[in-house]
Amino acid sequence: MGNRKMQTGWFLAAALALAALCVLGLGQCGSREQRAEKNSIRLGILLYRGDDTFVGTLRQSLEEQAKRYEKETGIKVVLNIEDAKENQNTQNTQAERLISLGYDALCVNIVDRSMASTIIANAMAADVPVVFFNREPVEEDLQLWEKLYYVGADAKESAVLQGNLVVDKYQQDPSSIDLNGDGKVNYVLLEGETSHQDSLIRTEWSIQTLMDGGVPLEKLTGGIANWERNQASALTEQWLTQFPGEIELIISNNDDMALGALDAMERLNIMDKINVVGIDGTPAGMQALEEGALLGTVQSDRTEYAHAIFTIAAAMALEEKPEEKLTLSDGKYYWSRQVPVKRE
Amino acid sequence: MEIGKNKWFFLSFAAVLVLLYLMSSTDLIIHEKKVEVYPVSVIVSESTDEDYEKLRKGMDRAAEEFHVDLSFITLYEANDQEQQTSLVAREIADGARAVILMPANPREAGIQLDDMILNSPMVVLGEVFPNEQVTAGIAIDYAEAGKLLGQAVMENPPDIPVYLISEGLEYGYAQEIYDGIRSVLEETDYQMNLRVLESADDCRRLIESTVYPESGCAAMIALDEKSLETAAGIIRDSSVYGEHIAGLYGIGGTTRVLNDMDQGIIRGMVVHNWFDEGYLSIEKAVEAIQGVGGIKEQITMDAYYITKENLRDEAYEKMLYPID
Repeated sequence: MGNRKMQTGWFLAAALALAALCVLGLGQCGSREQRAEKNSIRLGILLYRGDDTFVGTLRQSLEEQAKRYEKETGIKVVLNIEDAKENQNTQNTQAERLISLGYDALCVNIVDRSMASTIIANAMAADVPVVFFNREPVEEDLQLWEKLYYVGADAKESAVLQGNLVVDKYQQDPSSIDLNGDGKVNYVLLEGETSHQDSLIRTEWSIQTLMDGGVPLEKLTGGIANWERNQASALTEQWLTQFPGEIELIISNNDDMALGALDAMERLNIMDKINVVGIDGTPAGMQALEEGALLGTVQSDRTEYAHAIFTIAAAMALEEKPEEKLTLSDGKYYWSRQVPVKRE
Repeated sequence: MEIGKNKWFFLSFAAVLVLLYLMSSTDLIIHEKKVEVYPVSVIVSESTDEDYEKLRKGMDRAAEEFHVDLSFITLYEANDQEQQTSLVAREIADGARAVILMPANPREAGIQLDDMILNSPMVVLGEVFPNEQVTAGIAIDYAEAGKLLGQAVMENPPDIPVYLISEGLEYGYAQEIYDGIRSVLEETDYQMNLRVLESADDCRRLIESTVYPESGCAAMIALDEKSLETAAGIIRDSSVYGEHIAGLYGIGGTTRVLNDMDQGIIRGMVVHNWFDEGYLSIEKAVEAIQGVGGIKEQITMDAYYITKENLRDEAYEKMLYPID
């Protein structure tokens, strides 16, 4: 009797194991077949704010990348670009919708870097890889799953390069920065969003680099203009009235705010007197540089930036390994190159 | 006895749990109604979808209501009709149940599509084509829009030249707009000059020509949105050009041109309700997929002439700045 029971047990176990093997085998066959057949990919691009200048240039580059890839490989690329208008709930809904429609990968420019967990949880449940870009989610969230990546520009590097632009000029000719020759450089600071990781790092390292480079700094004031030209313009106009003839240097966390500062200076007719530096190298920023209005900026290679985002997303969508196509730090970070550009 | 009772209690508890699980997680007991999602491709005539914000908002709203999976397809090169036609074929082959097309070159598109066998219905954002699978066309009356612009430019003195600028009359519905303007100005003393702009530099040179001492002011009408944006951008970036262009008019509605109108760079513009156009196009595409309707129809949207003064009127504000 006992023997019979044991036999039945073994039989059941064997049947279960066989069933499991079949399911596993069939699943693998299916995915192999799917991989061989895949001739199109669908990528969702979720932007935190569509009218942000830098994000806008990235969007353009991503579209160009997709078209180039389609032409080169014959694999059709459908991009669905959505604007969250700075609302995390809207972005969560957009992500949920694209996931439910079966998109192959998401590229997310997260609204609130501390709130990425909802999108990550939904993506994990549906096995949809996510490439975050430009706004870095907190590290704990990025470590939640192996199919999460981040593409950005190293904020410390941007700041050091920005600081060095001023240091070089000061070392060549101190009077070009210390405009009134009183032995100190009075500066004001335009900062990005407080919730954005780059804002704090850019501020800290830009000032540190200037101090390390021997520029005698004296901070007059500073303010948060949320990366926006209009807000920066209003703040700068206020400071120019508050400190007439005192401001010698305007350090801005990005080009748009630097352009806002220039707008204010133009309104008050005090161009060519104050040095202004930005970061990003946006088309408008580069134009201001060429016109001599901006002292310098740090240009992100937006083609490379977009290429990295697209390459990772496309590779994941095709079940390929992104690390075989790009060099990633810690297996999930890609830092885009930056170069300082200064007024000649 | 006590043990038996407990046993039955635990067994029924387990059975209830299993039942609840089956009810909530599977279709075994309660059959959830399967929603059919329709893949629909929208093929526009530009190489980027940035300027279609309002149209997309309407489409997105309808897509949610009618369970449509929308793919927005742009061209490698703007206004490339051949490529657009090949994309129509590709999208249908890839499983699009319907295609919404904004023809780059309507006449050429009509000829090319006439030869094609379309296995899915098509809605045109423009004038409907003879192909039997093209079930609807949605657009404003472009000739009428041209008339509105012709009448508007007559607020300027008749002795100044009126430049009609376009990427080419064959693209979009520039020809119809041109005909509309001509029908109004032909019987007057206004002198029309059609200029085809191959690049922004052509536009700059044209505007610059009004600055020379021997030349006076001029009025400009853009027959397409891109030309309007280009001209407005050139005038905006110069402190001189604005004084020599008595009025810039056109057809459009992107945020950029609306801002330019707000700043007084564009004098007047013909607009329509893009949100409704987008919504309607999806609705018509779904009807065609479901086989409802059946009769080929041309839907004409209302066109409005707006100026800086009435830009903020409630009705226009709702139309031009739709809320998500």
